[in-house]
Amino acid sequence: MAQSADKSVMRARDFWGALGLMALSVFFLWRTSQIPLFGGNRAGVSGADWYNSAAIVPLGIFAGLFVLSCVLLTISIRAGGAAGALSAAGIGWDHREGLRIATLALILFFYIAGLVPRVDFIISGGLLITCLIFGYHRGLTGRMLIATAAMGVAGAYALMMHPDRAGWRAHDDDILALVLWIGLTFWSTARARGDRIMRVIPLIAVITPLVLVTAMAFGFRQNVPNRGGLIFAQIEYHYYVTLRPLWRD
Amino acid sequence: MDMLVTQLAGFWDALLALVADPLTYIYLISSVFLGIIFGALPGLTATLAVTILTGFFGNKIPLDYALIALLGAYVGAIYGGSYPSILLNIPGTAASAATAMDGYPLARAGRGGEALGLTTTASFIGTLIGTLALLVFVWLLLLISKNIASPEKALLALFGILLSGTLMSEDLVIKGWIAGLIGLAMAMVGLDPLLSEPRYTFGWSYLLSGFQVVPVLMGAFAVPQIIDGLRHMEVGEVLKLQGRILPNLGTIRRYLPTITRSGVIGTGVGALPGVGEDVAGWVSYGVGKSVSPDGAQFGKGSLDGLLSSETANNACIGGALIPLLVLGIPGSPPAAALMGAFKINNVIPGPTIDPAIILRVAAIMVLASLTMFILGLFTARVFIRILRIPQTVFLPVVMVLTTIGSFSVGGGINDLYLMLGVGFVAYLMNLMKYPMAPLVIGVILGGLFDETFRRSLLISNGDLLVFATRPGAAILLSLNVALILSQFPFIQRGFARLKGKFT
Repeated sequence: MAQSADKSVMRARDFWGALGLMALSVFFLWRTSQIPLFGGNRAGVSGADWYNSAAIVPLGIFAGLFVLSCVLLTISIRAGGAAGALSAAGIGWDHREGLRIATLALILFFYIAGLVPRVDFIISGGLLITCLIFGYHRGLTGRMLIATAAMGVAGAYALMMHPDRAGWRAHDDDILALVLWIGLTFWSTARARGDRIMRVIPLIAVITPLVLVTAMAFGFRQNVPNRGGLIFAQIEYHYYVTLRPLWRD
Repeated sequence: MDMLVTQLAGFWDALLALVADPLTYIYLISSVFLGIIFGALPGLTATLAVTILTGFFGNKIPLDYALIALLGAYVGAIYGGSYPSILLNIPGTAASAATAMDGYPLARAGRGGEALGLTTTASFIGTLIGTLALLVFVWLLLLISKNIASPEKALLALFGILLSGTLMSEDLVIKGWIAGLIGLAMAMVGLDPLLSEPRYTFGWSYLLSGFQVVPVLMGAFAVPQIIDGLRHMEVGEVLKLQGRILPNLGTIRRYLPTITRSGVIGTGVGALPGVGEDVAGWVSYGVGKSVSPDGAQFGKGSLDGLLSSETANNACIGGALIPLLVLGIPGSPPAAALMGAFKINNVIPGPTIDPAIILRVAAIMVLASLTMFILGLFTARVFIRILRIPQTVFLPVVMVLTTIGSFSVGGGINDLYLMLGVGFVAYLMNLMKYPMAPLVIGVILGGLFDETFRRSLLISNGDLLVFATRPGAAILLSLNVALILSQFPFIQRGFARLKGKFT
């Protein structure tokens, strides 16, 4: 019984999935039509024959995708997917699960798009770990929203105040993220009430990004995000000016 | 015969060179240990272990050491999945799903120590069987592959994507094919390989070089895992380990036929392009159930059942490396991540690969399996403690690892945007039960398919018969067509009727 319900939900989702894929393949077929297929002439230079055109393989791929999405749509409609596709229950929508996924998507978006390029990696990594463990360990909706708000404020501020690369070295966004991280850490520790996981969050949140970024920068000598970040810039300075001369000299 | 002796001598030299290098042990022990941890933690997979380590070691240390780290993690992670299967009844990786069927009942019956010891031994022997097959068959296939030209390469790439789509689909087979086509479509982004025509770059210069493999792998495998795993979940009760782990020699001898059979099956399944360790485990379990005298006891705590799946999934590793090294077509999702590591080191797996690399890979596999065996037997209790760590604690750490690993491969912040975009799409696809392996294999093989397909047409002046007139191409074309036709309902009904007549 449960298996057949799962199957109906899947076919209803397939209905939307197939429509999305059809739209996508039509869009890319149109884009492919802009690539010369029959020996187009570009800047006075004659292009290749059809069989060597850069469009031939993508044409086949997107045409194939279109055909397969039509088949999927047919399968879905035959299995009653179209009927269930218009109701929330039909596609298996769960409000709590939707909220969980949406908040996580926002946290990851603000982390990658807002914080990683602009804010010190130790601070952004620490804030992310704190937000994710605090927000999702117990599965409480309130905590998920607080975690998303903390990451959202830090990420949105960095994105809006320093949209261009020239402003990425500024430290006001680092300070705001650090304040939010410390605030959330105190909040989570105060509410730990015997929960061992909540008490170890600060330790994990500090050690993980710190070890990773220093190992990557000084061990593997690789590029790391935001080298001019509030904390990392100090570490880098003291590594080269204070520490390294000790074994170099 | 001379050739075999030369290969064995070459393998021996590679093994001695590795054994004599102290750095080998540092990379080997740490990567196998890390691999077992990744495998043992439900929510982390072998593919993720190899992908994340590709981000870290792929192009930052010499290729030899990178291969030690990646293969060590691969071997360790496939084996590590057996811990939660046996003690928690939750497979640590998809490859160990069949292991839970008999492992957990054995642990409940107070035979957890015996089950773990035998699993460790079987995984060790299985890996060696796979490596032996790699050592022998890779040379035979390399000789054959010298005659493979563009038409065969194009059809082989297509076959890999189609086969992976067919066998890795949980729901409809068509979803596997769609995932493969999406992967192929992603590979079309950037400058085309023959005419340098820009395709689908939308004015973003970063896309001129196409989708980079590592961010795509991280997006496809890590991000969905993190989104899916970050939920409240009580860690199940870890059963107390009873009995000694060190296996009894007599018992091993008794189960040697099962181990050998499963090792051969696992290697064979692994050698199929794009088919992973989970399929190997289930196929071997299914065969074991039908041929073993103990078949009726499968699922109720049978050692035969346990060893059938556990040997096969580790033997699959060696098998999966055969098409990767000989043809440049990954045999499993973790092998696809390994291919990413080869690519960022400018090593192109395939008929032109340096034979010394193959010998080194085989030598590393032997050492990695030995390390896994020793760690498994003597530090099992450490890994059991790790089972108690909830997903909500280690997944955020994985996200930070993924970010810095993906960033430092070369593309910087743009790689992270790509990773996140692919990750969100991959999560949606997971929700609709589209398999990820064909997508990743499509991304990896897309460039090869595009180039060889068009080159075939170029040398034949656009004559499509070039794909049917060469013997090798004709066989591969037939396989592709047969694979597609086999999924048509009226053909399936016809086969079912035929089967009914003969039984």
